[in-house]
Amino acid sequence: MKMLNFSFSTKLTFDDYVHDHSFALRIIPPDTESQKILSCSLNISPSVTTKQTVDAFGNNVTAGYIQGDHRFLDFEIKGTAEVDSSKHSSFLMPCYLYQSEYTAPDEELIDFYAELKDKNIGYVSDRAAFFSDILSDIIEYKKGATTTATTAAEAFALRSGVCQDFSHILISLLRMDGIPARYIAGLAFCDGETHSWVEYWTGDHWEGIDPANNCPVNDDYLVISMGRDFHDCAIDRGVMFGRYTQQLQLVRSVLT
Amino acid sequence: MTQQNTEQFTKAVGNANEINELLRRYGVKFGIYKNGVFNEQFFPFDPIPRVISSEDFKSIEKGLVQRVNALNEFLFDIYHEKNIVRDGIIPEIFIYISKGYLAQCEGITPKNRIYSHISGIDLVQAKDGEWYILEDNLRIPSGASYPLIARELTRIAAPEAFSENEIVDNRNYAQLLKETMEYANCGGIRAILTPGRYNAAYFEHSYLAEHTGSVLVQNDELFVEDNILYQRTYSGGKTRIGVLYRRIADEYLDPLNFLPESLIGIPNLMEVYRSGNVGIINAIGNGVADDKGIYYFVPKMIKYYLGEEPILKNASTYLPFYEEDMKYAMDNLEKLVIKDVAEAGGYGVVFGSDLTREKLEEFRRTIIAEPRRFIAQEVIDFLDLPILDNGETIMRKADLLAFVLSGETTRVWTSGLTRFSRNPDSFVVNSSQGGGFKDTWVLK
Amino acid sequence: MTTISKEHSDRLYWLGRYTERAFITMKTIQNLYDKMLDRKNAYEDFLRYFGISDIYGSNETFMKSFLYDGSNANSVAYSLERSYDNGIVLREEISTESLSFLQLAKDTLAKSESSRNTRLSLLSLEDQMYAFWGCLNEHIYNDEIRNIIYIGKTIERLDLYIRMEYPFDITRKEYIRLMKNLERAPKGTPYRYNTANYSELVKIMENEEKYRQNSEKVIGCLEHLFEPMEVTV
Repeated sequence: MKMLNFSFSTKLTFDDYVHDHSFALRIIPPDTESQKILSCSLNISPSVTTKQTVDAFGNNVTAGYIQGDHRFLDFEIKGTAEVDSSKHSSFLMPCYLYQSEYTAPDEELIDFYAELKDKNIGYVSDRAAFFSDILSDIIEYKKGATTTATTAAEAFALRSGVCQDFSHILISLLRMDGIPARYIAGLAFCDGETHSWVEYWTGDHWEGIDPANNCPVNDDYLVISMGRDFHDCAIDRGVMFGRYTQQLQLVRSVLT
Repeated sequence: MTQQNTEQFTKAVGNANEINELLRRYGVKFGIYKNGVFNEQFFPFDPIPRVISSEDFKSIEKGLVQRVNALNEFLFDIYHEKNIVRDGIIPEIFIYISKGYLAQCEGITPKNRIYSHISGIDLVQAKDGEWYILEDNLRIPSGASYPLIARELTRIAAPEAFSENEIVDNRNYAQLLKETMEYANCGGIRAILTPGRYNAAYFEHSYLAEHTGSVLVQNDELFVEDNILYQRTYSGGKTRIGVLYRRIADEYLDPLNFLPESLIGIPNLMEVYRSGNVGIINAIGNGVADDKGIYYFVPKMIKYYLGEEPILKNASTYLPFYEEDMKYAMDNLEKLVIKDVAEAGGYGVVFGSDLTREKLEEFRRTIIAEPRRFIAQEVIDFLDLPILDNGETIMRKADLLAFVLSGETTRVWTSGLTRFSRNPDSFVVNSSQGGGFKDTWVLK
Repeated sequence: MTTISKEHSDRLYWLGRYTERAFITMKTIQNLYDKMLDRKNAYEDFLRYFGISDIYGSNETFMKSFLYDGSNANSVAYSLERSYDNGIVLREEISTESLSFLQLAKDTLAKSESSRNTRLSLLSLEDQMYAFWGCLNEHIYNDEIRNIIYIGKTIERLDLYIRMEYPFDITRKEYIRLMKNLERAPKGTPYRYNTANYSELVKIMENEEKYRQNSEKVIGCLEHLFEPMEVTV
């Protein structure tokens, strides 16, 4: 068990005014078996009223709408949490066994799995660790090679990617192996950005594994959102109108 | 109803041109894209009505109510406890591989637990008089406006037909729809959401808006604020929408929850819906229940949820997913009809009898490779209906799209859309495949 | 139903304008037809009013183009098509019945092209257009909706009368009609007039002399009547 102070901020800047801006943030960490949110404050600028709901995957959704012209959207959370990774959630949504948008394998990934599947016989956790080991051997952690739209199959073909891609590939392998797996977006002691890792279903409960660092998840990981893949977990999504041609996003996260 | 009576009706209804002229006057059209160009076509009307006896319709009605009630139970179950899967009635894989299943809808309970407010159930009558269910449409069943306006016009063109025969007045559809919308209303005005003027069914959207007293809206006049759906008014104000009869597919409905590239959706609509602040007709995620793969299980659902024997029959269907069914399909492919479960609107339907030997072999391999993608069905020997063609009566295949509305109770509209194929050999009667329609008379 | 969206209010306005443009163009061509019985190329006046160069050469070519040619933006066919385009998205406001008269009018115009007597064949078009307005009035219960259509209709009529150099007294009657329509538009809606252009319009329309000197300005004022006022900070 560990107490964590967390903060996370995003600055979205547009190169021209935008208006009628609807957004949905998945940024407030949920209370789960393994983490208790003791305090959490959310600040959004320009100031706007928002509403909270909880989506199908258990994530806190903050929805808002800014009608008038503005050139930026900043939001920040700050809070403290009590994390205990020895406790586990034991609610399974069956959809986690099935491939989703980002994880659907192509032929190459299917063949890769076929070669791999008989090389390790063991419990679910052994197999998950085994897949993660293999991935850390053959996939290079490299920024810029992939984007948030890259699928598991595409990243695998490149043999490179960031935490999101490691997660998608591992989820794809686990699901092919008949093991339900889900995507986690959160904060960890890595860098100043958000991190992503994987949880797999042991047959009894969820267990975390961090394929990008090839290690089990411990008390230094704070879950922000979870889902079938990145699509369900995007920290911020928005639709806006205006003549802007680009937006710039700056992200900063601190976990102590 | 004797053949002679039908002829008498036909004479009374008179010349197809007259009615078609009237339909044209009232703008009864549907849009169609050919080579990327939008064209509006008048939907050809055949003056010989389909006549269904009172007794026949009563049994259809009972069967439809039963079926839709079971399907509504199924949708609630799938998005909550999933007992039907747990109890082994439906293999889990059929739920989660279905494109219509939307995990985002898990745990959402629409107002009054109704998922399919407007169900379009496609039936055919076989030569032996038996009615069979061809498929269910619980997403956006379309086409009720055509028989509705056609009846209005045939009553003008052939008054005797209606004064001399006991035909149930079917012009209450708009009223039924309005009541159904009101029952799902979460507080606010009624609105019909259209993707726009160039949608194939635009006539219907605007006609139903007019006759239910709803506003016809497009996404750019709507916005979500504080988990409430509003229409922006021209004076700078906003009006709350309490129920949205959307004629836009699930995946385009909310770019923040489904397809991000959708330009016809409403951002954050899903949050409003989840909060119970707007009724959405039909509920999001219904596709899991009208999937061609799930069709096979509907009779089992009726037994499971209602403890009743199904009143209406499915066409005999085989799921290559089951070994036994696969064997049967492989041995009898040349006499079966194969449907791709991912396709709709008459697409992805292949008759084994149309295939050459090589094609049959190729198709067998496709089915073996992807058993979950197809269902195989016995070809139903359709009862052909007479069609007037340049003054001559010819026989064509026809179906009946029945509309079932679920509000305080489940009600069947005493009519329906009878569509026929223009091509004499075709079994496909979908309007997007170039057919026509008839009035459907249910006798008192 | 009392909600009118921005999009539909635009449509209502343009429905009024295009329907009126189709009607007046048709009536004007009928008059020209009559004049042309006595004078060749009487259509030249019409072209002059709108600053269109004569590429027609004969009465017949002119008539065909300005009645039936959908690609000629000044033709009846073009205006009627635009009017229908606006009408079709307003079914629940104006009713299927009203819309049916626009469909009928389009069909009648198309049939008229091959008829032996153009003027006779246009008579039923005229009937259908009048019927459209009658039907519209019957079916619209919301005065705000009706008023937007009529603002469009009156502005179009005024604009055409001025361009076609109608006498001042007739033009002024239409101007007064417009003023009444504008007064009915609720505050805060887009069809509340723009103050600067409105005052200018009122000033010019005061008497015939001012009008004669400034008729082009009137056209400008009408065009910009609903533009939001510039806010200077």
